[in-house]
Amino acid sequence: MRKIWFVALREFIATVTTRGFILGLLLTPALVTLAALALPSVLNQQSFRAEGQIAVIDATGVLAPRLREALDPERMAEIRNAGARRALERVPESLRGLVEGSEATRDPERVIEAMIGQVPRLQLIESQLDVDSAKNWLREDSANDAAHLAVAVIASDAVEASEGSVRYGSYDLYVPSDLDTRIENTIHQTIRSVIVAARAAAAGLDQRRVNALVRVDRVRTIAVTDEGERPSVRVFNRLLPFVFTGLMLLGVMVGGQLLLTSMVEEKSNRVIEVLLSAVSPLQLMAGKILGQMAVTLTVFGAYTSLGMAALISSAMLGLFDPWLLVYLCIFFVISYLVIGSLMVAIGAAVNEMREAQSLLMPIMLILIVPWLLAIPISLDPNSTFSTIISMVPPINTFTMMLRLASTAPPPAIQIWMSVAVGIVSVFAAIWFAAKIFQIGLLMHGRPPNFATLIRWSRTT
Amino acid sequence: MVEDDAAIALSAVTKTFGSKLAVDRLDLVVPRGALYGFIGPNGAGKTTSIRMIMSILFPDSGRLSVLGHHVALEAKDRIGYLPEERGVYRKMKVGAFLTYMGRLKGLRRQALAARIDTLLESVELGGVKRQHCWELSKGMSQKLQFLAAIIHQPDLLILDEPFSGLDPVGTRQLRDLVLAEHGRGATILFSTHAMVHAEEICQHVVMIHQGRKMLDEPVAAIRRRYDLRTVDFEPLSANADVTKLNAVAEVQSVVRIDDRYEILLVEGADPAAAMRGITAAVAPARIELSRPRLEDIFMQIVSETQSDRDANGLSHGAEQPTAMVS
Repeated sequence: MRKIWFVALREFIATVTTRGFILGLLLTPALVTLAALALPSVLNQQSFRAEGQIAVIDATGVLAPRLREALDPERMAEIRNAGARRALERVPESLRGLVEGSEATRDPERVIEAMIGQVPRLQLIESQLDVDSAKNWLREDSANDAAHLAVAVIASDAVEASEGSVRYGSYDLYVPSDLDTRIENTIHQTIRSVIVAARAAAAGLDQRRVNALVRVDRVRTIAVTDEGERPSVRVFNRLLPFVFTGLMLLGVMVGGQLLLTSMVEEKSNRVIEVLLSAVSPLQLMAGKILGQMAVTLTVFGAYTSLGMAALISSAMLGLFDPWLLVYLCIFFVISYLVIGSLMVAIGAAVNEMREAQSLLMPIMLILIVPWLLAIPISLDPNSTFSTIISMVPPINTFTMMLRLASTAPPPAIQIWMSVAVGIVSVFAAIWFAAKIFQIGLLMHGRPPNFATLIRWSRTT
Repeated sequence: MVEDDAAIALSAVTKTFGSKLAVDRLDLVVPRGALYGFIGPNGAGKTTSIRMIMSILFPDSGRLSVLGHHVALEAKDRIGYLPEERGVYRKMKVGAFLTYMGRLKGLRRQALAARIDTLLESVELGGVKRQHCWELSKGMSQKLQFLAAIIHQPDLLILDEPFSGLDPVGTRQLRDLVLAEHGRGATILFSTHAMVHAEEICQHVVMIHQGRKMLDEPVAAIRRRYDLRTVDFEPLSANADVTKLNAVAEVQSVVRIDDRYEILLVEGADPAAAMRGITAAVAPARIELSRPRLEDIFMQIVSETQSDRDANGLSHGAEQPTAMVS
């Protein structure tokens, strides 16, 4: 055990003290932080303003005045603020902490400006021109004039349907090819809302009443468990299984890759047999696997702590069961030991990384399977298929994690059955890997194929 | 028979790889404190035998004992091993590498620092402790690997082709280190295909060919036994009548080589009587009984074994070792 510890310790120190590792470990959170800080500035729309003229050819004769009124900057500002207020009201309880006391509540107009730009200043021109002349107006050089942004041609039946028809007419919008999409969207939204309001009025309906009838504010989901109630956020819940399983998959792949690289390096350095003078092949293999597992757990722990810190600071910790973290650790260790054993065996069998590629293919294909099954499992985590697949090694750990992080976690008996299956698969993988490891370590020359590895595993 | 009090004892050890018989019923006893050479050409089975002694490979049949243990794994902390396929962690510093190897061999960290300094000084590598292993020359790296093998002052030192790739200066330094370890009391078994090295430093030689032991004797005994039929002779006068040598009863033939003569004695002749007869016939400037080289002996054994096998129509692996094997 002492020798396994020394091998593991060397493996750990040799990896975590490399410049690449330190940079990699620090760089990812640094980039995320940088992105979090820089993104609002990059996306800041504060300086954006839609400004210019819109010509309207209104065949209905009733929409132009309404449109002029709707395009009034004060009126537009009012509508935007009301929308922002509604959005704030919809923020889930658990996220309130983030919002309350923030700039969004203190100075909502400024925040709205930052998000969608300044209040548009659009001037409406009721055009008497025909469509072709209006198009020419659009093409005119507007250097010394307000910008010619669009020509809206509204159909005569846009407000009231023609006799005998239930379909309303619409409008065409002619724009210069280089018009900013945000301006175009603003124009579309404004015309659309004006047409709807006009249609409601023509039908003798109150616009605000219609709006109230068709709007259902976003509902809150509350998860009821044996321990009590837990607030639930649908988007968060949908993402959680993928985040947890992805984290696990990433950890296993990174750890396995580190193990493979380290093994191939030692073999090509010809240092293996020197080590075998002091340790047995199994001690060497165990030490390497444990050392690299410690490396991966360090990365894993660092990122998980970072995520937890973010959740705690945003008062979102209550959104998931803390036991999930315990299961994540258990299933990660099982997956790592299975995949890591196979990786180290491959590393021992080949002479260089290039030769490992073909042997890695089956493992990579196996690791893709949980991703392919992620959606069906997360849609129905307790179906017969989901239950069975969460007991099939070596992917049972990933599929069980998908089920665990879902809104309908499996019963405890199934979880521990999956753990038991995982433990058996760990022993099987280590047995298989140890056989290959012992033979492969001293093999040089022609790289083995998968059939050769199977043959080695049968050697006594 | 396995002798538990020997440093190494192998009894009828056999190892095959697929259809290839690598080691064939090998018997070997290396007494404690001995310096044994394990010689044979490339592919003879030396490395496989050593790997079995080190428990890196396991025999298909037969028994072995290393320092009284039936598995070397149980005595690894008392064994130093320099494999043929050897290297170092290139990115590790020299001091750290030796510390790691020492720790794996069961040494305490406190004791290691002083030991490493002493060892490095002893091979003129005092200044490289903080250098990375990749910065060392091949000779320095070889020395470092040797130090890693002896850092724990092993009772048994197994060296597989220790001199390969070394220049004459490096070879001499390493040879001195091996002899120093032997002087300390360590049992040493080293394999080489360059028999001149075995000839220089070994007390006892085990020769294997195609996985089978061909010879297992003290070097002095081998020299006495094999080919003491050649006398190296240089006449005192350049004009001496050397034809008189043919008249000596023990002389079979005389061959001139530059300014000297190689005299082959008849089979069974007494070398002392022959030398007396030769000096009486022609006054010598120099006369000596030629010492057979291990390489020549090896070639002789191999060719005789091959002839016997051809005569008996036997193939490899189907017969007992020849009578020449002690």
